[in-house]
Amino acid sequence: MASPANFLRLCLRPSRRLPTLRIAALQQPVLHRPLSTTQWRSAAADENAGKEEAEDEINEVFNNPGQYLSSFLRDEKITEEERQLATRMLEDWQKVPPNMRKTIEKLTEEITDASAPLRRPVVPKRDSFWNSEEPDTDLITDEVGEDDFEEDDIMAMGHAKLEEHREFREYARIAVWEMPLLSKLAKPFQPPTEEQVLRFRYTTYMGEFHPADRKVVVEFCPKDLPGLTEAQQLKLKKLAGARYNPEKDIIKMSCEKFEHQAQNKRYLGDLVNKMIETAKDPSDMFEDIPLDTRHHKFKQQIKFPKEWLLTEERKKELHEQRKQALLLDEAKRTEGSLIDGVETIQQALLHAKVEEAVPVLRGRSGRGRR
Amino acid sequence: MSAPNCLRCLVRPSAGIPVASVPRARAPLANLAPITAARSAPFSTTAANAKAKASSQKEAASARGGKKLQLGKFKKKDRTADKGRPPLPGERKAYRKRITLSNDNAIPVPWLTDLGPTDLAASENVAKVKSLPEELQDQLRASEAFKPTQRWGMFRKPAVLVRKETVDLANQMQDSANKKQMLRLVVTGDKVAGKSMMVLQAMAHAFLNDWIVIHLPEAQDLTTACTEYAPIPGTDPVQYMQPVYVLKLIQALRRANEKVLSKTYTTQAHPQLPQNIGANTPLLTLANLAKEPDNAWAVFQALWNELTAKGANRPPVLLSLDGLAHAMRLSDYRSPAFELIHSHDLSLLRLFANTLGGGVQFPGGGAVVAATSRNNAPRAPSMELALAQREAEQRLRAANNNNNSAPGDIEVPQKDPFFRGYDERVEAVLRSVQVLRVGGLDKLEARALMEYWAASGMLRATVDERTVTEKWALAGNGVVGEMERASLMTMRV
Repeated sequence: MASPANFLRLCLRPSRRLPTLRIAALQQPVLHRPLSTTQWRSAAADENAGKEEAEDEINEVFNNPGQYLSSFLRDEKITEEERQLATRMLEDWQKVPPNMRKTIEKLTEEITDASAPLRRPVVPKRDSFWNSEEPDTDLITDEVGEDDFEEDDIMAMGHAKLEEHREFREYARIAVWEMPLLSKLAKPFQPPTEEQVLRFRYTTYMGEFHPADRKVVVEFCPKDLPGLTEAQQLKLKKLAGARYNPEKDIIKMSCEKFEHQAQNKRYLGDLVNKMIETAKDPSDMFEDIPLDTRHHKFKQQIKFPKEWLLTEERKKELHEQRKQALLLDEAKRTEGSLIDGVETIQQALLHAKVEEAVPVLRGRSGRGRR
Repeated sequence: MSAPNCLRCLVRPSAGIPVASVPRARAPLANLAPITAARSAPFSTTAANAKAKASSQKEAASARGGKKLQLGKFKKKDRTADKGRPPLPGERKAYRKRITLSNDNAIPVPWLTDLGPTDLAASENVAKVKSLPEELQDQLRASEAFKPTQRWGMFRKPAVLVRKETVDLANQMQDSANKKQMLRLVVTGDKVAGKSMMVLQAMAHAFLNDWIVIHLPEAQDLTTACTEYAPIPGTDPVQYMQPVYVLKLIQALRRANEKVLSKTYTTQAHPQLPQNIGANTPLLTLANLAKEPDNAWAVFQALWNELTAKGANRPPVLLSLDGLAHAMRLSDYRSPAFELIHSHDLSLLRLFANTLGGGVQFPGGGAVVAATSRNNAPRAPSMELALAQREAEQRLRAANNNNNSAPGDIEVPQKDPFFRGYDERVEAVLRSVQVLRVGGLDKLEARALMEYWAASGMLRATVDERTVTEKWALAGNGVVGEMERASLMTMRV
């Protein structure tokens, strides 16, 4: 209560009318049982507390810090320390030149007047139907007297529709006339140079807060890093573990453990440096550990075989093959060596000896055979 | 005029429920509920019959139920038809596994000639169908080379198509026999591509050329814990013999190779056998000693020692096995410590693995041929990898020899360093074997085969290029089993 910061706060806000809103909110009855027949009454203790607070908050309107300080000093409950501080500040205020004092007072008054509607207490109407008097921002009309038809103009909805159309056209004009001018500001793409081996990726949500907007991803190819021998590159890949993509030969790491993008990026940069340093360290080159690629699923690229393409040549070749096959068949046919399954069977049946019917015992055993 | 039904609550006004007269606001749902519940079907006009129907349904349900308790003295006779004798144990399996080698209804093919000793190695016989001579049939049948999945029973006489791979294999076998070396070869390929048939043809070549053939028809018989086993005393690490299986094997060996074994003589005495076998006894006599499982393993070992005796005059030996994957993994047998026994600790398979790995040299040369199976194959990652490696190495060597194709695009597959399932013993065995990949037939071979089918009356079509190409393409570029399925096994008549 007595800190200088608190004083300053109080001085800068001399008007104490704002809390009325809170009072209104406080006095709203909380209904515990909606169908209760007993009338609602606030608890006695609550009422007293509310009153005290109200007393504490309201009353005077101060036009400048001096008035506030002198009123504060009139209070008898404050401690000695506070009193001394307030006295000193009051003296300071009195040293302020009158011009400036007037300006401050005027400013205070203006602010008070301008913010008056904000401070008006919001009291929900008791017998409103579904808060129908609240403005609906999604509706395109202002809903004031829109059903009244004076026979001299189109209806409010019509006007609103027109307004909407105008808005569309405005944006269309911007798109046609002004957006192309943006291309003047475009910068040509410059591919990264050999020194820029790390590729960072950031995410922005266009100024909105998002838990992922701090995430930074870095990608680099171990081959691009300058001054690394083959063995060192291999060690670097082994160090990267599951972050290494053997198909693309790229190490990809991300960081989102710090609050800001820059911190995460810094961390990644340091980490890459550390990895390179470790990879260059000849004391243990991990030669006994094979490169682990179990985390990666190799995707087999299936291509249409070139030999299967029906080029003109291939078509000719196939045509020739078919012709040869037909010729072969024809030659066999004339020669008589072409084999026809059906014909073979018929010939065999013709030449087959007809066996004499053997008498077979009828009865159980005959049936049992099947 | 009002509608006959109450339009709000869909209750039909009847004499019992004066719905229309009750103002809706005052008739709470709770009052209506018991009335509607009592009427099972509010829209039905047959409310009175509902109860009777329900009782009749109940009766029907009881009549339909399975067993009925029969009270009373006289029981009705069971009127179900006499089902006859149930099959004896093993009868169904015997029926399933029986091998029929001829079909009297099939038309004999006039141009079919029997296989001669050199026919399988002659390249002019490629794309020709040759029949198996009677004696060879008996030998092959004795050594269980025919399989019930093969379509022998459709034709008048068993016949085989000589393929490029066959000629290649037979030539390699002949070469190794001439040089008195061992050909160590694994036949591999896609499903139903003819791998077992390739083993059969190798055996046929061996039988026709008076080799001794030892054939293990299914490796799974040895490793899936279906046959008895016992530790062999005095072995370290402990090996296990399978006496019953070995007895069967010796008998098959004796029956199939009778002629050759009777002409081959022992070089040393075998005092460990109860019967006194001296030197210069025919091997057939030795094989005849195995009469019961007890001494089978000892006899087999004696036989094996004789066959591998250094410097002896012996015919070449063919050792063949089908279903290699079963022999290249942990078997289902357990040691006394209840640990799984590796297949290579089963002594018979150990001998085979040693031979395949190059550890055994037959004095007369010979071949070890193993075929993989694609349908009945447990996972054997080491075997698959080793075979892929050997195949890639062969192609690489061939490319280097030819110097025309680029060997750069042939890559020898490497072990996955983070995979645990590899087996070093298997790798050691397969480190230097040859791999013969059996692929699809070419059009010429396909045509020859289909002509044989049509001439046997099993394919009711004209065998011209069009039909051949159609079936060949349907069969995934001439996979022979698929061709059978596409043309022989269809029911189109």
